[in-house]
Amino acid sequence: MTDPTIIRSLDDPDIWVETPATIYDAVPPYPPRTEREAEFYDLRDGEMLLNLGPQHPSTHGVLRVVLKIDGEKVVDLDPVLGYLHRGVEKICENGDWHHAISNCDPLEYVASMFSEAMPVMVAEKLLDLPVPRRAEYIRVLCWELNRISSHALYMGWQALDLGGLTPILYSFIERDEIVEMLAAITGQRLLFNYLRIGGVNGDLNHDFLSRLGDWMSRAGAQLEASTRLLNENEIFVRRMSGLGVVDRETALRTCLSGPVLRATGVPYDVRRAHPYSVYPELDFDIPTRTEGDSYARYLLHIDEVRESIRIIDQALHEMPDGPIMAKIPRLIRIPPARAWVAIESPRGQYGCYGMSDGSDQPFRLRIHDPSFFNLQAMTDMLPGNLIADSMAIMASLDPIMGGIDK
Amino acid sequence: MEAVGDRFSGPLRQRQDTTEIRIRPQHVAEVMRTVNEDDAFRFEILADLCGVDTGTEMQVVYHLWSALTPDWLRVIVEGLSRDDPRVPSVTFLWNGAEWAEREAYDMFGIIFEGNRDLRRIYMPPDYTSFPLRKDFLLPDDAARSPGEGFRHVEQPHQPGESLRRPVLRQGTSEQQ
Repeated sequence: MTDPTIIRSLDDPDIWVETPATIYDAVPPYPPRTEREAEFYDLRDGEMLLNLGPQHPSTHGVLRVVLKIDGEKVVDLDPVLGYLHRGVEKICENGDWHHAISNCDPLEYVASMFSEAMPVMVAEKLLDLPVPRRAEYIRVLCWELNRISSHALYMGWQALDLGGLTPILYSFIERDEIVEMLAAITGQRLLFNYLRIGGVNGDLNHDFLSRLGDWMSRAGAQLEASTRLLNENEIFVRRMSGLGVVDRETALRTCLSGPVLRATGVPYDVRRAHPYSVYPELDFDIPTRTEGDSYARYLLHIDEVRESIRIIDQALHEMPDGPIMAKIPRLIRIPPARAWVAIESPRGQYGCYGMSDGSDQPFRLRIHDPSFFNLQAMTDMLPGNLIADSMAIMASLDPIMGGIDK
Repeated sequence: MEAVGDRFSGPLRQRQDTTEIRIRPQHVAEVMRTVNEDDAFRFEILADLCGVDTGTEMQVVYHLWSALTPDWLRVIVEGLSRDDPRVPSVTFLWNGAEWAEREAYDMFGIIFEGNRDLRRIYMPPDYTSFPLRKDFLLPDDAARSPGEGFRHVEQPHQPGESLRRPVLRQGTSEQQ
């Protein structure tokens, strides 16, 4: 169907071969746009390019990375983004404030309670709108449940990318229970569309509470059981420790956040660093580690799940009665203002910068996705590692392409 | 804020939990270095970097976080012309800003001087417009795109015949 094109051979840049033009060509069919691009695609003796993705299962979606390799070692890499770009910021500008909620849902598609909170919270901040306390507690409950389901998926994926198939099956048991639980109040398994400007869409119901009580009674034991598969596993520990090390200073300079940053010893968690919602009233710790490698990131996820279980326990016991929605009109017109909100998603600081101009549509809605910034650290972490290890490092950064490509 | 106070181009504003300062593009490097490295500020974390098109001018907005203050710091670089918006890069302080600057370039056409890899990040390399600008309209883009907004993938065609057909726009009645 497509015309064949003449491209440089992947093995030898001096040989030109005829090939159908596809998106998989490692060498771009256009002249380099920057010095860095020219330098990357200029191969030295013994180096070759290896295209990874965008359909490779270990790239967690549609991430495409062009690796420059020398033998089995990665020398340099060039991530190519945009395969899932929807232009969500433009879409949000063309809809009204309520449309932005469901448009932002698929950004972080394994934990969409967080991404859909962004337009909601920024609109509330622009309006100076107080949210009922019961709604805040329900939000915290949903966020922490979603955090656990996301971390469970991460732990499974991490092992899967190292070649172990079993842990992801156990992770999905946990994840599916939580997803079903959230489906009981939101009606959706993945893209919840549950938060509303001024509150939440529905109150807790019997189905949700009975499932949650059932799960909470054995959550701790189940977590220990499934992590015992990997935590002490010698092969896993040896593969993971010392891999993809990043130190404190580099992490701050690279704008990392979330578990990747906390694994380097920086206790930056937006829930404590810049409290929002009812987190100041809840008692929980911010686990940190100092090694900064993939294994530290993995262990940190488990610690965070423990803290999340503590938060859910408190939120359930302190859940106040009352309304779940503030009284706001259907059509929201927000006076001209600017606001920035940030929350702690499973992957780090999820931010949103909103500007309103007095109409019912956002003037500008900037979504700051933590995976986008964390993924960038890959450029520092991968060189010098084996190709197989680069998958493990990539998995330990836990990228979600929906948010990265927006 | 006394150290950089004379660099402000507008009043310092405080709303909710955010302090907002406005500067001109020529002072970006100096102000950002001061708030990042001066012991009185220590804004270590660049929380966000984004471009804004106000309709009359371009802006670049930075959000910073410091452990010393409970407030966010918002730095607005204002007064970039819409025809040729140029601003110094902050990658010499935060190399993680590289992709964010690429994104702002891709979406607004803002040139970050000093960014070593300023090319499009989301849109294809042969793309010519900047989608988040206010003068970018969605129907215009569809008409200009390589597929011309139309793909007849399921229609029978002769071997060797181009898959691209004349564009049908609203109001024409070629085949209706």
